[in-house]
Amino acid sequence: MKQYGLNRRGFVAAGAAALVAPRLALAQSSPYVVGTLFPMSGPNAEYGSLFTKGIELALEHIRADNMLKRPITMAVQDSLATPQGGAVGMTKLANVDKAVWVMIGFTGVSKAAAPIGTRSKVMMINGGGVGPDLAGLSPYYWNVIPLVNQEVRVLLPWLQKEKLKRIALIYVDDPLGNSVVQELRKGLAETGGELVGAHSIPPATQQFAAIAARVRDSKPDAVYFASYGAQQSQIIKQLRDNGITQQIITYSAGTIPSVVGLPESEGLIVTSQVSDWEQGDEVTQRFVKDWRAKHNGDPTSYNQNYYNAMRLFALLAQGLEKAGTEVTGETLLAELQRVRRFPLVGGEGVLEDGGTMAMPLQIGQIRNGRLQKIA
Amino acid sequence: MTAYLLNLATLATIFGILAASLNLLIGYAGIFSVAHAVFFGLGAYAGAQVAMLLVPDVLLACLAGGAVAALLSLGLALPALRVRGEYFVAASLGLQMMAVTVFSEAHALTGGHGGLVGIPLPTLLGFDVSAQGVFLTVCLAVLALILLAIRMLMRGSFGRSLMAIRDSESAAEAFGKDVRQLKTLVVVLGCALAGVGGALFSFYMMFVNVESFTLEQSILIMAMVIIGGTATLAGPLVGVLLLLLLPAALSFLPFIPPTQIGAVQQFIYGLAMALLMIFRPAGIAGQSAGRR
Repeated sequence: MKQYGLNRRGFVAAGAAALVAPRLALAQSSPYVVGTLFPMSGPNAEYGSLFTKGIELALEHIRADNMLKRPITMAVQDSLATPQGGAVGMTKLANVDKAVWVMIGFTGVSKAAAPIGTRSKVMMINGGGVGPDLAGLSPYYWNVIPLVNQEVRVLLPWLQKEKLKRIALIYVDDPLGNSVVQELRKGLAETGGELVGAHSIPPATQQFAAIAARVRDSKPDAVYFASYGAQQSQIIKQLRDNGITQQIITYSAGTIPSVVGLPESEGLIVTSQVSDWEQGDEVTQRFVKDWRAKHNGDPTSYNQNYYNAMRLFALLAQGLEKAGTEVTGETLLAELQRVRRFPLVGGEGVLEDGGTMAMPLQIGQIRNGRLQKIA
Repeated sequence: MTAYLLNLATLATIFGILAASLNLLIGYAGIFSVAHAVFFGLGAYAGAQVAMLLVPDVLLACLAGGAVAALLSLGLALPALRVRGEYFVAASLGLQMMAVTVFSEAHALTGGHGGLVGIPLPTLLGFDVSAQGVFLTVCLAVLALILLAIRMLMRGSFGRSLMAIRDSESAAEAFGKDVRQLKTLVVVLGCALAGVGGALFSFYMMFVNVESFTLEQSILIMAMVIIGGTATLAGPLVGVLLLLLLPAALSFLPFIPPTQIGAVQQFIYGLAMALLMIFRPAGIAGQSAGRR
């Protein structure tokens, strides 16, 4: 009787195991879903394409190295670069696609998506927006790109060394531009320089002849502009066309191909995280080598950042798998806060409280259509 | 999936309010405004400020949003309604461009281009209505009230006078209608309702900035009304469902390559609208001019 009971229990257990095992196996092998929320259509689609290419290369490397036990699938949502598009896209990624890691770009999109991602406990990683208001947006929102105020601080000693004291500034009147005004005004005063003019422009303006005339009148040693997108090329071209021969300087938004390839950009100074493609570390070398083989040219900072964003997920998920912990937004956040330092393209990235990342920064110059590190 | 559907439904309801309010102007009064997003924005900023500075009460925010939009709509109505047709379109276009600049520059009120972040969760008369289903119910209730009010108004003498003006302004004037007063009233009413929609939008998004109130948004709202069918209660709602939900539905199509999804969506979306206008020029739920 006892044996019969055991047999029956054993039979039930075996039956249950037979029923559950495929589901467990399925759960074990079901892919990790990572999402992207970029503008994939409209005037900002160039950025969506740039960001995605970096992620695709990182995915190839993660798969080739068998870094994770489970495969990764990428869910794509078009944010249209609008807050509304960001909110709808983030809701789908979090609730329908069940993404645990969403790579995001653009300030308005980020701010609209952040409350939704936070409610759903989805990690959100920015590698494109550099406005200082993106720091501390949510515990689940992290930047893998140094914010613009950090870039300006790196520039100030170089300006002093090059004896560029009188700086004229053209900036988009948004949190990013206002942060540059504050940093330059404060920093130049401390290093013996002077902000001789600060000219604000709306984000969609394409005509800068009048601004160029005012800049010329202020007789600056250098002109700094803080803008983004297609407007950047227009600013550079129209400054040169209107007789501004002084040094022009900008921040990492100037690393996009349409700016680097512009003939008038020759000599442009651009601050960014280190993108010294001759750097000896293994991660950077592999990224650069494979990028050049695939795309027949050098990568941009945006390609690098989103490669790093995807690589960061793999490093965190790998750590969780080793510890036998389920990979969710919550556990990824805990792992990130535990580890903090990660080997990334361009050097070691240190994620700090407030959702920012400290990375080695550089000053580059565009020479012969290529961005080259000069300091 | 439920959360996603609830979110889409909430957004569709808010845009339903917005489209119904523009239908008052376009459909019933024949006033083509391309500045409706401005009043949507005014309501959103007013609602957000009330929520952040006073109390996050939906009713209070909607009243504030409606009042601010109504008051400032007089700025458009009084001078611009002296002109007809395409001249009003040009005047509203000017207002739209001016408003975007003001929204970007008035940092103290709008947060500038960075917008207003951290709008608190909504309450209604002290009750928490932040849960998705509950907030959708609130939005649906507001939409139902607005549709009921529009139906009653349009069946009365006000509505008949507006439609008379739409069909022939000179004839209406000859019959003793005070055209300017009626037009001003309908603009103020339509803009106030857009402001109410804006206040709900600010709670839904928990963030507002100028990017949601651009000319593109005004054109989208107008397209919703025209494609759905003007001068009908159901038309704008059908337009909202089509223009908001079609892109969302297209994102589920498995044969679209993930990285090309945006471009393919835009193409299908544009093609569908062009075909619709060729084969149903009065809109999906619209009636031809002779049957109105």
